[in-house]
Amino acid sequence: MGELGKLHQLIIPLFGHNITINLEVIAMTWIVFVLLIVLGLFTTRNKTLLPKPLQAMGELIVSLLYDLTEDALGEEHAEKYAPLVCALFMFLLVSNWLGLIPHLEEPTKDLNTTLGLGIMGFVIAHYAGIKSKGFKAYAKEYFQPIFFMMPLNLIGELAKIVSISFRLFGNIMGGSIIILVVSHLVYSIVLPPFLYAFFGLFVGTIQAFVFTMLTVVYISVQVK
Amino acid sequence: MAFEIETVVKVAAYTGGGLAMGLGAIGAAVGEGYTAAQANAAVSRNPKISADIFKNMLVGQAVAESASIFALVIAILLLFLDVPVPSLLKAAALLGAGICMGFGAIGSGVGSGYPGGQACFGIARQPAVSSQLTTNMLIGSAVCQTPAIFAMVVSLILMFLNFENSPLYPTWAAYLGAGLSMGLAAIGSGYGGGLAAGASCEGIARQPKTVTNVTTIMLVGQAVSQTPAIFGLLVSFILMFKSYPESTALSASMALLGAGICMGFGGIGPGIGNGMAAEGAVKWVARNVENAGDLMRIMLVGQAVSQSTAIYAMVVSLVLIFVV
Repeated sequence: MGELGKLHQLIIPLFGHNITINLEVIAMTWIVFVLLIVLGLFTTRNKTLLPKPLQAMGELIVSLLYDLTEDALGEEHAEKYAPLVCALFMFLLVSNWLGLIPHLEEPTKDLNTTLGLGIMGFVIAHYAGIKSKGFKAYAKEYFQPIFFMMPLNLIGELAKIVSISFRLFGNIMGGSIIILVVSHLVYSIVLPPFLYAFFGLFVGTIQAFVFTMLTVVYISVQVK
Repeated sequence: MAFEIETVVKVAAYTGGGLAMGLGAIGAAVGEGYTAAQANAAVSRNPKISADIFKNMLVGQAVAESASIFALVIAILLLFLDVPVPSLLKAAALLGAGICMGFGAIGSGVGSGYPGGQACFGIARQPAVSSQLTTNMLIGSAVCQTPAIFAMVVSLILMFLNFENSPLYPTWAAYLGAGLSMGLAAIGSGYGGGLAAGASCEGIARQPKTVTNVTTIMLVGQAVSQTPAIFGLLVSFILMFKSYPESTALSASMALLGAGICMGFGGIGPGIGNGMAAEGAVKWVARNVENAGDLMRIMLVGQAVSQSTAIYAMVVSLVLIFVV
């Protein structure tokens, strides 16, 4: 049980501050990148009008996510944001499934990954809002319904980052803690595969979808 | 009357185990009862497919039971846990773990009964889509369990982490507060997520063509209903992992305990309210799928407003932790 809450860290002292780097998370994130790039290369190689199985799978994923974006954002914005949505979903899905392979861990188990993605979505949504409405109309929304509600509106917006990133982090980390403790208690007999199927495949897929959908919806609230 | 420390730790573990299972038994039983009631209504509406309805009822009840099974696991662990280094701090942590899991199982248990019941009734109404209804019911009630899973994680961390280096005062209050914050905040979110999932099963039975839109808005609605539980998780993580300077003053301990109680109770209402907003939106997407985009946007804005009270609670408890 000693591995609960332990991390491999590289600590670099710099001008009196310590820069902490979580080595495992970075390695796992790069593994996800490599897997996705390989998948992308294989699905787009030798494109034919009559798609081969791999190409068909790629087209299916892209068109499903494109339709989803179009439903939420409308036609003109969909073209712009669909690549982001596809990339985000595929990254999260492969990240959440990575823990199924022995010795590999989900990068999303680390709060830094999910917080980074959450902040990215937040910045994109607000940039899109300012661009489509103009800064004046955008800033005016913070003073609704009365001007002194401004600080609370601001905290409410920032709380969105907290909720979206802790939702993913809590689910993935919670799943891995439960798997670790229960496997330890039953001496890794019978139960662990079912737990991996539930927390890795099922919860991982749903949470990747929820994170992506919420990012899209935050953009759509700002744009419209 | 003076006790040895071993006795105090045992007392805390047994009390915590009792609370975990006692409170944890409330929710799932209510939820399963609702499922069974709806299954009865469904059978009398369409007696020809009573076997299908019966099977679906049992599957739905089995999923609804999982919150209580989490509580059972924690209770048994607390009863038979072997504490290598007994300390008063460990006693507080064990009691906190029990309280957290007990309260945390209530909401998810009640909530995940709704999709089960509505799916049974939906199968009676539209036998052709029974497999879609069962899938949707399983997804909906599994997502309902998220608050209970968060509570279980906090309980496991409280039970198994080493706390030997922290000062007893005021850290004992932080552990009790962490349990209360997560446990109570999970009640509303679990129940609210159930309302949304129930409405989606009802909607699919009414208009099977809208299944993609209904499932999508159900997942988004449930995710937003879980936000108060996530705030509870955040506050209890801060309470557990922050290091406190030693202080025997009562006010320092009570500030930490108060922070947990504040976030816990503050999360109940917004969770239920957000669930109601999601229930309404999901219900009407099924009836009027052309306006799904508008409905989703209005649901989110309404949920954001009803969530503001949870945000006030979080601000107050963060002030209690960091400022007072």
